[in-house]
Amino acid sequence: MLLTIQNLTVRYGTETALSIKVPIVIEEGDRVGVIGSNGAGKSTLIKSLLGIVSGQGVIETRLKPEQMAVHMQFNEYTDAMPVKYIMEAILGTKIARNEKLQELIAFFEFEDCLRKKYSKLSGGQKQRFTIIMVMMQEAALTFYDEVTSGLDFETRQKLVEKLVEWYKGKETSFLMVSHYYEELDQLADKLLILDRGKVIDYGRKEVLFHKYCGRAVIVVEHSDKNEAILAGYDRLASPAHLIALSCTSQEKEREITEMLLKHNVNYKRSSDDIEILYTNAKQEGLRAC
Amino acid sequence: MLREDRRKGLISLQMLLFEFRKTIGNPYVHIFGVGMPVLMMIVITRAVAGEFTDAEAFRVAVTSVFLGIGALIPMATIFMGYGISNAQEMEKGIPQRMELFGIRTGVSLCNRILSETVFMVIAFCVYFAAGYLFTEIKAPEITGVMLYVICILTFSVILFCLAHAISTLLKKFSLTYCVTMILYFVFMILGGMMGITYDNMPSVVQVIAKLLPVTYINRDFYTVWTGGSYNFAPMVQAYLLMAAIAGLLLFLSVKRTARRL
Repeated sequence: MLLTIQNLTVRYGTETALSIKVPIVIEEGDRVGVIGSNGAGKSTLIKSLLGIVSGQGVIETRLKPEQMAVHMQFNEYTDAMPVKYIMEAILGTKIARNEKLQELIAFFEFEDCLRKKYSKLSGGQKQRFTIIMVMMQEAALTFYDEVTSGLDFETRQKLVEKLVEWYKGKETSFLMVSHYYEELDQLADKLLILDRGKVIDYGRKEVLFHKYCGRAVIVVEHSDKNEAILAGYDRLASPAHLIALSCTSQEKEREITEMLLKHNVNYKRSSDDIEILYTNAKQEGLRAC
Repeated sequence: MLREDRRKGLISLQMLLFEFRKTIGNPYVHIFGVGMPVLMMIVITRAVAGEFTDAEAFRVAVTSVFLGIGALIPMATIFMGYGISNAQEMEKGIPQRMELFGIRTGVSLCNRILSETVFMVIAFCVYFAAGYLFTEIKAPEITGVMLYVICILTFSVILFCLAHAISTLLKKFSLTYCVTMILYFVFMILGGMMGITYDNMPSVVQVIAKLLPVTYINRDFYTVWTGGSYNFAPMVQAYLLMAAIAGLLLFLSVKRTARRL
């Protein structure tokens, strides 16, 4: 066990920002994706785990603060010097003498940025700058709070590809907050679903998917024609522009897909669609409330 | 791994250079900490030159002005310069970001104190070089120099604590700039550096002026500089009072920013 959260409550004034009743256990090697809409308590969770905000409850861990690394949503540094010196001071090393750091700089294609001041870096370069330093810490547990927010599609995709490539084959644990389901799809193996400060569910991605969506989901565009074709099938909660159907068995799946093929309807089949999973988990959570 | 290594020592050459780059990257310290004291010293000593016919009396006045204006250096470089720079960083959350990288506030502060001291020493070297080039300062007694150094250093330490506390508590550049600038000019005016000497101040103002160390540095240090007999008790009391205020504010600022793990 790397970290356990028990009965954690964080309040901002009279408002409860986070309330975790059921214990959340993060094991070694876990890659936890944290999802939830704005105000769900995602950043508050990270801040409370890092001791930046105070709360009531128990956070049990054998990790010392220096064994946890974090990439915050917004990271700022002094603008009085080129980022090369900031990097060397923070990491307590010289780039010229540190092969691992050189490797990371090359991996994230940051060589040309070293002479620039922080304010002169682009959004993607700023994120990569912090990621390099966070990764150099070789922490047992790393937190990533919306690393790709504010980046354009291409930069975001490239950064996630780099992260996926970097973590491939490594046993490092991390907790990643993101609004982009496809990022968590690529990077996380567990999900922590939050809504309005409460935990809706926590567990392995495939287990949660099975619990809320069944064996697989078939997703089609929302239209009157598709509504008519799929009338009579069990529907899952989905974003307004989509129709999602749960396939509880292989036979059911075959039946639906044959029907769609017959009517020449485009569809997407998935057994790990986080967006549909989240939508249904949230809806169930609301129902339970 | 890296952060555990960092816990071993408070001062490192890398961190010291990092903090020094931040210090010299702040334009305020060059303008108010180096340029302004030198300029004021030259202008004021030239202005009073006409008022003295006796060369000896003129040198006494010049030395007195020179020593008094010297107190502006820590007030500008440390109190204003560091205060403003720290507020800018607080506003951006930089100290917290550094702490999350495992660089404890104590480490940053120790290296910053040292880098501020180095910059202040350089500023004093420039000031003294200009003083000896452009004015006629009286040669000091060795004890006078030592006491001047002790007084300026102690004053600087108090100013650093005060600047750190104010900027940490206010957290905003604009507010800190406003407060430190006002205090800077209050210290200058009440310390007798802006044309009205302590003796010419109204008695109510004198009561406040007596509470400030800068008043004694500006008014009395010529006596100490030349090895004369001097009662240090009022000056020490002023130092203690200012240190107590700075200590209290520092305690409040540390309590407010403490990380709860």
